[in-house]
Amino acid sequence: MDMDMDIPNLDELEWLEANSHIHEEDLELSSPFPPEEERQSQPQSPSPLSVSQVDSHKRLRSDGPDSPNIEDVIPSDEKRSRVDDAGTETEEDWLRYSPPQERNAGAEEHETEVVVNEEKVVSRFASEIDGDFIPVTAPSGGDRVYAKICRVEREEKSKKLVVKPQSNGLLFEPVNVLLRRVEEDAFAKALHASSEGSGDVVLDETQMVHQHEKLWVDKYAPNSFTELLSVEQTNREVLLWLKQWDSRVFGSEIRSTSDDILSALRRHSSVTQQKKYSDSTFPRRSKDIRWTNENFRNSNNWNDENSNVKGIQDSWNKISRLTGPPEQKILLLCGPPGLGKTTLAHVAAKHCGYQVVEVNASDDRSSSTIEAKILDVVQMNSVIADSRPKCLVIDEIDGALGDGKGAVDVILKMVSAERNSDTGKENAAKGEQSGRPSSKKVRKTMSLSRPVICICNDLYAPVLRPLRQVAKVHIFVQPTVSRVVNRLKHICSKEGMKVSTIALTALVEYTECDIRSCLNTLQFLNKKKETLNVLEIGSQVVGRKDMSKNAFDVWKEIFQKRKMKRERISSCGTPCNEFDFLHSIVSNHGEYDVIFDGIHENILQLHYHDPLMQKTVKCFNSLGISDLLHQYIMRTQQIHIHAYQPPLAIIVHHLVAHVQKPNIEWPKSYQRYRMSLMERVEILRSWQNKIPPYISRHLAIKSLVEDSISPLLHILSPSTLRPVALHLLSQKDKNDLAQLVSTMVSYSVTYKNVKSSPLSSNQEYEATLDASALSFDPPICDFINFKGYSSGHHVLPLAVKQVLVHEVEKQNILQVSRSLHLTDGCNKEILDLADERNSENSVSNSPNDRAALSTAKIETGKNKVNPNQRNPICSTTLSNLDCSAMSNVKLKSSGNPKKPCTGSSFFDRFKKVSSKGSQNTDIAVQNTTTLERDSRPVLFKFNEGFTNAVKRPVRMREFLL
Amino acid sequence: MLWVDKYRPKTLDQVMVHEDIAQNLKKLVTEQDCPHLLFYGPSGSGKKTLIMALLRQIFGSSAEKVKVENRTWKIYAGSRTIELELTTLSSTNHIELSPSDVGFQDRYVVQEIIKDMAKSRPIDIKGRKGYKVLVLNEVDKLSREAQYSLRRTMEKYSASCRLILCCNSSSKVTEAIRSRCLNVRINSPSEEQIVKVLEFIGKKEGLQLPPGFAARIAEKSNRSLRRAILSFETCRVQQYPFTSNQAIPPMDWEEYVSEIASDIMREQSPKKLFQIRGKLYELLINCIPPEIILKRLLYELLKKLDEELKHEVSHWAAYYEHRMRLGQKAIFHLEAFVAKFMSIYKAFLIETFG
Repeated sequence: MDMDMDIPNLDELEWLEANSHIHEEDLELSSPFPPEEERQSQPQSPSPLSVSQVDSHKRLRSDGPDSPNIEDVIPSDEKRSRVDDAGTETEEDWLRYSPPQERNAGAEEHETEVVVNEEKVVSRFASEIDGDFIPVTAPSGGDRVYAKICRVEREEKSKKLVVKPQSNGLLFEPVNVLLRRVEEDAFAKALHASSEGSGDVVLDETQMVHQHEKLWVDKYAPNSFTELLSVEQTNREVLLWLKQWDSRVFGSEIRSTSDDILSALRRHSSVTQQKKYSDSTFPRRSKDIRWTNENFRNSNNWNDENSNVKGIQDSWNKISRLTGPPEQKILLLCGPPGLGKTTLAHVAAKHCGYQVVEVNASDDRSSSTIEAKILDVVQMNSVIADSRPKCLVIDEIDGALGDGKGAVDVILKMVSAERNSDTGKENAAKGEQSGRPSSKKVRKTMSLSRPVICICNDLYAPVLRPLRQVAKVHIFVQPTVSRVVNRLKHICSKEGMKVSTIALTALVEYTECDIRSCLNTLQFLNKKKETLNVLEIGSQVVGRKDMSKNAFDVWKEIFQKRKMKRERISSCGTPCNEFDFLHSIVSNHGEYDVIFDGIHENILQLHYHDPLMQKTVKCFNSLGISDLLHQYIMRTQQIHIHAYQPPLAIIVHHLVAHVQKPNIEWPKSYQRYRMSLMERVEILRSWQNKIPPYISRHLAIKSLVEDSISPLLHILSPSTLRPVALHLLSQKDKNDLAQLVSTMVSYSVTYKNVKSSPLSSNQEYEATLDASALSFDPPICDFINFKGYSSGHHVLPLAVKQVLVHEVEKQNILQVSRSLHLTDGCNKEILDLADERNSENSVSNSPNDRAALSTAKIETGKNKVNPNQRNPICSTTLSNLDCSAMSNVKLKSSGNPKKPCTGSSFFDRFKKVSSKGSQNTDIAVQNTTTLERDSRPVLFKFNEGFTNAVKRPVRMREFLL
Repeated sequence: MLWVDKYRPKTLDQVMVHEDIAQNLKKLVTEQDCPHLLFYGPSGSGKKTLIMALLRQIFGSSAEKVKVENRTWKIYAGSRTIELELTTLSSTNHIELSPSDVGFQDRYVVQEIIKDMAKSRPIDIKGRKGYKVLVLNEVDKLSREAQYSLRRTMEKYSASCRLILCCNSSSKVTEAIRSRCLNVRINSPSEEQIVKVLEFIGKKEGLQLPPGFAARIAEKSNRSLRRAILSFETCRVQQYPFTSNQAIPPMDWEEYVSEIASDIMREQSPKKLFQIRGKLYELLINCIPPEIILKRLLYELLKKLDEELKHEVSHWAAYYEHRMRLGQKAIFHLEAFVAKFMSIYKAFLIETFG
């Protein structure tokens, strides 16, 4: 390694490498020669040798005033870029510029072929490149070309690529030496990186000197996987999940995470670690090395090899399609603060070769911004040096409700887009792997092609509900106390702080394993030159965590007596401490409404000794007071009165708390009660709206059930109504039926088919009919259907119900046609008339047998007249009964409601003919009807002497009556 | 049609129960102007009936031609627009609505409607400008703000619009409004009055009433005329001709409450209380107001108690009912009462039986 001196320091080199682009830009700006020179030299494709000579000559001149360390860079960069050229060529990559080697070899035909096949990616002219491009200037020659930017993440070093005139003879050293050096270089870098990863303690310690002011939390944050404090299991799962993305993200590196490795990972994360590093983090380098070895042997037939690699890649593609990204595209880490969720996400992502892009609560998280950001992460290749694929870490996703929701929405959208467009996904995958610029279009589908890790504290935050279903959820549990203590001890010893293990343990327990808080406390104390005092941790820990426990924990604390552990640690007085503890817990939770609902729900299930129910009375008193307080606060908006709520919970605690573990349920019954109450009220309301206003205005929803429903049910199902054919009913029964129908109509109650109910099974008449039963619509029966209560209501037989349904329907049709037919005012008068008549009729009618006789006569007459016309109506309303019986039923019943309803009917006229001048009121009605009839034009149709029938338009309702 | 509706008095002259009030109202109205009115009294006492009869007295039969409307109001309150939907009953001369249905935004409704009505004053036959009547139901459920805003508009638009307020208890109506109205207290009809009405109906229907039957119904009716007539009709439907010892079908919820009461008497323990909670919820779900439940429960319990406990139990029932009205979650207070009763009763049992 004679040229090792050229590489002065690994760090420096890396830095230079990272900034080489900028340097080039600088150079380019400062270069005195005009670009025309280059342009003119390009078209004839001059011998690179001469160009380079000229260029280097000029370059030397121009470089004169520049800093000398650029000189250092140039050779190494030259080499690197050359090797990169070769490497990318072999891999059939996306940067297809005409390589200088080819020109050297004089393989002109190949070059043209390349140019024909592929579109121009590197050109001297910006106009030749479609899409984005980046100007590149050779460090040595100042040659300027334009390179196409392809957004594929594997294009790791595109910006460093330089078209550099090649001159074999002018190299300082033979190619193989250069290549070897590059290899060494890569290897050294790999080593460096891995040492960085695995936590080089020596390095850390050298840095420590300068970093005295740094927060310990940052300073001792785990850098590598093995340093993580979180539970091994979780770490491994997260890593496994990330590794599953490899096929998608790194494409050809699929073999690095083939199944056996993944399974190995499952078994042993630590063992595979090294391998992964070499495979995933530095894939390019290892490949470069491989290629250069081959190149040594035969540098000319790389072309063949190229196709070979292509074939291999194809097979990889297949594999990658088989073992695609994980099923759940999103990882959701949740757990209390300070356990290292963010750290784990960062470390694991870095470990797997990703560049972490973090979005946290301090960033703008509206959905548009986050979308842009995700697109960036997913599609863009970074321009700066670190061009590893990115991994998005959304921290505190549960934080801000309004904005955080945007993030969740965008992610969900992307995930669902992924699911929906299977073909799109395939295209995208192909596009990514082949690196075709055309894949730009495919990307519009916006599928998620990079791992996204979301971090939250409260898994059950309402915002996260949709996300929970699609994401892979990992819940962080507290690491063991000893583990945290060990780490703290380690750090303390490094910082030269003397702390006893007992004190540390106490600290850790006090902060509930919140490492961040522990470290901050320790650093603070160290700064103050104080030592951690076991007994005064309470006062020493500066910021006590604002623990917001979930409601279940709060209830548990209320209902369960604590073991005396806490009291042992802090020697404070027991009752006072417990009071403080409970008070803080309850008041931190804040939603007193929920807490007291929970107490109410669960308190009666507890096993406390209470022979005289005095405790229960007291508990309910507390609950009642809390309700009063709540109501008062709501009414007067004096929120500060909430301060009096926690003591009420503490009272309950003192009354009922037991050591025994309570069985706590979420308070659902009150919500359920409210929901079903609203439902019921809604039913009543809609019912009330259906009832004609002159009745409904007197019904209040509030008292409807209280004093109307039960009698109404009795009235609607009279036990005296026998299920016999209607023509067998006595006159009294008929009147009852008419009365019932009118009640049902005026209260707009009818029967409706519902699915089988137990009541219908034992009725004799339903044997022949189908199993469906008729029940009230609106379902007023339900209002007296209390649990564990059987009401003594008579239920009508199905046949009767069917008749009723039919009658009610008929009445409704009549009403509708009447309201259509007549103007509003007229209608009202007729209604009034009908009402009056109805009352008179019902009083005077029942003893009057003559009227009954007449109606019977009418019925028979009617039967003769036109049974056919009535049948269709029957069949629509009642399909079950056979036709003849049906028409019978119809006729009988139609005779009855005729009277209460209206006078302007067909059969009233008919009746008048049969029983002349029977009633005075009838005559009055008759007058109106004749008037009405006369107003209608009567059509005489002359049909060539065939018939002298009189035709006139007839309304349906006139047949119905 | 039910008898309740059929025999509802249509005019003030037909009113049988509150004849004196009806006559006073008639006198009031015939002098061509009437003040704002506030009707209050327990449910089922006939407030609505009186109001309707009054309207008919004022406007004639046109007041009976009502239509139901689901009206929406757009209200511009400063920067935002509020949309409210409310069912109204209206004739040409009056609008009837219960503004408490829209919850805390009721004041907008009150203000808006009165303004609306003031804009279009009807002109009567003699060319004089008449007035419209706004009937507001459930005024005691109006929010405080609505009542305050009502106060001003009542005066401002009094020329064009009269308010008839209707509520169960005047205690929740602010003083300011009460002083602007003529307060009309409508009592529950006494049992004699109920009997009178029932007998009137029986005569109209041509029914034979055995002696004492109407009195029994009246007794069971809790002095609610509506209930009395409904149970009367129920009896008629179930069995006619009547017999003097005919069973009067009870209210189902009352039966259920009496079941609860016997449950309470049978066992006093938190377990039992939990079961009772379920039953109380059942009642509440089915729209039985909690106050009514508590009242009925007390009634049922008192029936089964010894004399010496009655006073104490009644005291606690009043105590918890008061709290219930102040609070929001009725179930807490209902259960608290049950628990308290259990505690008292158990102590009593232990004391007497050892």
